[in-house]
Amino acid sequence: MVRLVLLFAFATLVALALQTMLPYWLPLGPYVPDLVLILAVDLGMRHHSAVAALMAFVMGYAIDALSGTQIGLNAFMITLVFLLAYELSSQLLVTNVVVGMLAVFVGVMIKDLGSIVINSGFSGLANYPALMRDLLGQAAVSALLAPVVFAAMARSKKMLGLLATGRREDNSTGKRWLT
Amino acid sequence: MNSSFLWRNRVVLTSGLLLLLSAHMLTTGVRPRDPAARPGEALMGVLSPVQSASAHLVEAAHDFWHDYLALVEVQRENQRLHAELSRFQNERARLAELETENRHLSELLDLREALGMRAVAANVIGSDATGLSRTFILSAGTRNGLNAGMAVLSNQGVVGKLIATSGSSSRVLLIDDHNAALDAFDQRSRVRGIVAGVVDDGLTMKYVGRSSDVRVGDAVVTSGLDGTFPRGLLIGEVSRVERQGPGLFVNVSVAPAVDFRRLEQVLVVTDPPPRIIAQDQD
Repeated sequence: MVRLVLLFAFATLVALALQTMLPYWLPLGPYVPDLVLILAVDLGMRHHSAVAALMAFVMGYAIDALSGTQIGLNAFMITLVFLLAYELSSQLLVTNVVVGMLAVFVGVMIKDLGSIVINSGFSGLANYPALMRDLLGQAAVSALLAPVVFAAMARSKKMLGLLATGRREDNSTGKRWLT
Repeated sequence: MNSSFLWRNRVVLTSGLLLLLSAHMLTTGVRPRDPAARPGEALMGVLSPVQSASAHLVEAAHDFWHDYLALVEVQRENQRLHAELSRFQNERARLAELETENRHLSELLDLREALGMRAVAANVIGSDATGLSRTFILSAGTRNGLNAGMAVLSNQGVVGKLIATSGSSSRVLLIDDHNAALDAFDQRSRVRGIVAGVVDDGLTMKYVGRSSDVRVGDAVVTSGLDGTFPRGLLIGEVSRVERQGPGLFVNVSVAPAVDFRRLEQVLVVTDPPPRIIAQDQD
């Protein structure tokens, strides 16, 4: 479990560094991939534990440190996306890359729309068509990048001996709350 | 039975508790300046060397790419000319970069002298982590005398204000963020209003009465009444005035004077602006 926490902590730092640097060096406009959210979806779909939920919360809190003015907003939205990914993987028999991409796409839409509504109320959605174009673009870019991030995480986990690539973590035999 | 229920639903229950905690942080209004935000400042401190290193790396890669293109163009030239040309191009690119940086810094120096206040120059080393908010990360922090609440300017006009600082970096909330607002007036007609950011880019000037004399092309400048920005700094110019529809106020759109995507160096005013007492507007 410690190795998993360290892996995600490192991955989150790298993702945050990329997310803050990419828009400055490339003309991405609003289409900045949400790499931390992809990591949260990976957590929700493959790691069914309370520590994973806590990690998702901390990842959101880390985004709050580098974005916007309200502490707790991204912590809330990333935890929510984690929970949705967890529920999705609990209901489905198969959680492959396509399901992951769909979860990332929907997750980005929910996170961005939720953030705007919480931040500015429904008046934030006044320019609906332009806003939706930007959000759909960002969700699509994030979904397209998701397989790369999933593969990188699976490879890293395999290297650290955490779990077999692409398979869901099974905690049904454990008895500790945090595992 | 109960422990089995708790065990089976441990992820949902933990997530629910964490959602409640983050909702509590949201509703109680934990701001970047509060003690609860200290771990975030530490994170900024951890990331700023990475961001600075990345900035240098990307700059080196950019130079390398330009060198490569130049080499392709002079492929048919002989080896001596090839090497010489490459060397001169490198030198020229470096000098051009130095000249641009020098020009920016000179303009910032002129601005600082014109302001007559103490100020610190800083480089922009990063952008907002999500793209939904409009913030920048600067290469200077508390070690350079910066603190949250200080005004950030460029030679083009008002950029924003500092909302969080760590030892070696700080974060600026740009004036076109939907959470930003500053007191301003129309320079020609002296009509006052509050300039605020809107979600889909740009600025709006709020609370301008229907009978006010505001026209497209008017310069909008800071009033100095908000205690952050010195008086008379350019914010932008009026790009649209809509008087149709009901309501007490007109919709005034303002085009920012600063091109936020091209910002490289900024000036942070470390002196508090002089206090100005508001006079009633007729």
